[in-house]
Amino acid sequence: MGFTLKVEGPSTIDLGTTIMTGVKFRTDIPLDSNARSTDMGSTVEITGKILTAVDGDPFDATRQLGLWSLVPAEKSDCYRKVTIEVIAASQVIRKYTYPNAFVVDYKEDYGDTEGVGTFRLIIKQKKDKMAQIAVEGGYSV
Amino acid sequence: MGLRMKITGSESVDLRETSIVKVVFGADIPHDSNARSTDLGSTVLVEGKILAAVGGEAADDTSKLARWSLVPAENSDCYRNVQIDVVNASQVVRQITVPNAFVVDYTEDFTDETGTGIFKLLIKQKKDKMTTLKFEGGFSGE
Repeated sequence: MGFTLKVEGPSTIDLGTTIMTGVKFRTDIPLDSNARSTDMGSTVEITGKILTAVDGDPFDATRQLGLWSLVPAEKSDCYRKVTIEVIAASQVIRKYTYPNAFVVDYKEDYGDTEGVGTFRLIIKQKKDKMAQIAVEGGYSV
Repeated sequence: MGLRMKITGSESVDLRETSIVKVVFGADIPHDSNARSTDLGSTVLVEGKILAAVGGEAADDTSKLARWSLVPAENSDCYRNVQIDVVNASQVVRQITVPNAFVVDYTEDFTDETGTGIFKLLIKQKKDKMTTLKFEGGFSGE
């Protein structure tokens, strides 16, 4: 099972299946609602590895994620278009598109045993643009 | 023990025992009530696998669940009929019908260690329609 992440903004961030280790999608709805609530949000948690470039490979784009997480709210490029694909057995199981995603948490973790660093990125879709989220899937690559 | 879920609304979702792993049914009653409370609700948790289609078969219906969880409250399609069957030894142990179910939580979890993804769907019956919820079982089927 592999994942790809594409973030489109002033520059494009592309992370492939060698980097990404997990994706969690979540629709946030108040659990105490008695009927369908209008207060709805969507959160994605992405985990992956921070790889070191060897043999002259280009550096991976994870540093760009860190820079994105530091963009102040005053600037329009804090909202970016995020596309995440889950691929298994030559099938696109899911293709999530968040046209106005913003970062709510970004963490990088390094230790002396793993050999690679890990990152955890949590993004949300802008709450007033929830209708623009697209969920596709179930077709061949 | 086989678990099946059928959702009917603007589109129908059919998930079989190959997909569904766990169903938890709960009646929500205030624990601090001194006598029988009228504040009664019902929550159902469904957990299952997101399977990749192989051999040219059709993709499973789990992506429809994800889209259902995103239907806004203004749209009547956010309420759907959910039927859950618990089948064991040719007996329908439970047949729970939630006619006006809405999503309160939906999670999909994918990691590179497992071959399949996992979904968790938490639904509730619309609280003013609690009397239409059907809790049947104990008859033969299959």
